[in-house]
Amino acid sequence: MIRQPASILSGLVPPAILETRDLTKHYTMGEVVVRALDGVSISVREGEFVALVGTSGSGKSTLLNLIAGLDHASGGTLRIFEQDLAHMSRDELSVHRRRNVGIIFQSFNLVSTMSAAENVALAMMFAGVKRNERDERASKLLESVGLGGRQTHRPKELSGGEQQRVAIARALSNEPRLLLADEPTGNLDSRTSHEIMALLKELNERDGKTVIMVTHDPLLASTHAHRTVTMLDGRVISESAA
Amino acid sequence: MTFADAVGLALRNLRQAKLRTALTTLGVAIGIASLAGMVSLGVGLQDQFVDRFTRSGMFDSINVLPGNIDPRGFVAGGRGRGRGAQPNAPAAPEATPPKPLDDQALATLAALENVKDVYPMIRVPVEIRFGDHSEFTQVAGVPISARGQGPFATITHGEFFRSDSDAACMISLEMGNRLVNENPSQLVGKELTLGYASSSPVAAPPAMLPGMIGVPTMVQRAETRCRIIGIVERETGPMAVGGSMVTGVMIPLPKAREINEQFAIAQRTLMRGRGMDGKYQTVTVKVTRPQHTQDVEERIRKLGYSAFSLNDALQGARRAFLVLDIILGLTGSIALTVASLGIINTMVMSILERTREIGIMKAIGGSDSDVRRIFLVEASAIGLLGGITGILLGWLVGRIINFGANYYIVQQGGTPGNLFSLPIWLIAGALGFSLVVSLAAGVFPARRAARLDPIHALRHD
Repeated sequence: MIRQPASILSGLVPPAILETRDLTKHYTMGEVVVRALDGVSISVREGEFVALVGTSGSGKSTLLNLIAGLDHASGGTLRIFEQDLAHMSRDELSVHRRRNVGIIFQSFNLVSTMSAAENVALAMMFAGVKRNERDERASKLLESVGLGGRQTHRPKELSGGEQQRVAIARALSNEPRLLLADEPTGNLDSRTSHEIMALLKELNERDGKTVIMVTHDPLLASTHAHRTVTMLDGRVISESAA
Repeated sequence: MTFADAVGLALRNLRQAKLRTALTTLGVAIGIASLAGMVSLGVGLQDQFVDRFTRSGMFDSINVLPGNIDPRGFVAGGRGRGRGAQPNAPAAPEATPPKPLDDQALATLAALENVKDVYPMIRVPVEIRFGDHSEFTQVAGVPISARGQGPFATITHGEFFRSDSDAACMISLEMGNRLVNENPSQLVGKELTLGYASSSPVAAPPAMLPGMIGVPTMVQRAETRCRIIGIVERETGPMAVGGSMVTGVMIPLPKAREINEQFAIAQRTLMRGRGMDGKYQTVTVKVTRPQHTQDVEERIRKLGYSAFSLNDALQGARRAFLVLDIILGLTGSIALTVASLGIINTMVMSILERTREIGIMKAIGGSDSDVRRIFLVEASAIGLLGGITGILLGWLVGRIINFGANYYIVQQGGTPGNLFSLPIWLIAGALGFSLVVSLAAGVFPARRAARLDPIHALRHD
């Protein structure tokens, strides 16, 4: 069932687009230092579908947030597309978020007052895409995720699966090479989950998007990902190819 | 993110919270209305004051005297100087011979910028005769440009001179009351005889007069007749400095100059050459607008004449009005301060409500400055909208108060006027001010929104 990425089939070893070395993230909660990440070293190659698996508090979401540029690491290195995120300013991180990555959340995180099309266009607005172009692109993206007829609907008027599709369309709007999904099916029933996973797989296989997905469900990971990275207490405890 | 996008997004956000936006905007509107209304009242009162006094002709005229007399010294009169007890008193102006105020000087003064009119003050002693009544008085020359000005704004009976060459005269109401026992208006149209001292060269002097020098001249009595065309009431008030033109009899200026010349020769003859000799004692310079008075006054002084006007008094009044404006403005600002707190409150509330949305915007690539800009535009949109509404509101309230006040004033027999004045600068200023205040009020909330940590913001419910 699982196919290797196209570039591997062509006989070339694709370059690592993401590489972490001894990555740490410490929080201080009162007197206690929480080691959310305690020396993580992983690498992800272009076109891979990687699942980050672990119990809650294992640090998988923290790692995803660091990759997304939503947070700063406490130590170690984090290189994405030859850029070191550890040394980026807040503004540079916002550029990273709008250019390099597309983020999909468990709770969809759509702006409730905006229509589906407006939510997708909003991401392009920050990227400086002109109005006409972003309206056109938003419409096409929604069509491509199967929401052609629901463009003017607000999130409340959409089902969970539909909302997640809007979020995926939004994540794709600035054409990032890396998609980050944090429990994308966590709020969905099993049938809808399956549809969303199929969509992510399609984006990975057909469009060559690199996908890093956080999930607590080992079965979901092994079914869809090329590789599963299992984490516990802020460390990687095992890596296994599917 | 372009500015247009930020504006679009901000307006959209404001529309989402219609009631809150409307209430906050109304707060700003009331603040701006009270500020604009207060300043407008100050400006209106000042305009009323300045206008009334400008029409009185006191503030647009400068009295010019020959020589470098220190105006303060002059106004102070004999107070300090005569007693000689002031060691710091300015040096006596006798060092330079006083510049004469002759016809050439009149031309020079008339050529100055912003000068509307220049005319000498001519007063000639005359004997007037009307029927059996005769008395000595002064005849004054009145320029035709004084029509409708100062004391001639209202002519009690009859009318003002039609032209410079009119063989007509006006008399004061007091004079009219002396000429006839009752109803002085009947004098209009009647003829008056003016007798004055004149002179003529004498071919063969009949006798040596004591005043004769050089060319033999004889002082004789001359007469002229004029038709009474108008009767003027002598105005009350501090006219001594401004130079009242109302004397017992007033005739057109050219005629007065003619008589004056004759009189001057006669005077010279009688006073052994110490008469005025074609010079004037006082010249009145009218400026185009009262604002120019001070400037023209300075330039006349530089020409070597003494000049003074009531402008100093007007300047004092202006200062008083400035203080009034500031007090009124501060009072109005209180409402605006409250309104700006309202903006801050609205924005802070809005950030609290939209924390998650801010987190989303950041997660999908919005930078700190994008978020800051959206909130600043929202705040300033509230301010601008409030400013426009406030000006309309202020204008409306001003009109209503004005209407009421004028109704009362008319009832009391006064002349109605604009108590509130809303000049363009005040409108522009109020708009600019509301924008600045709302922007300032938006700075803190916008900064707070911009600094939000995206992860925390996304977890916010």
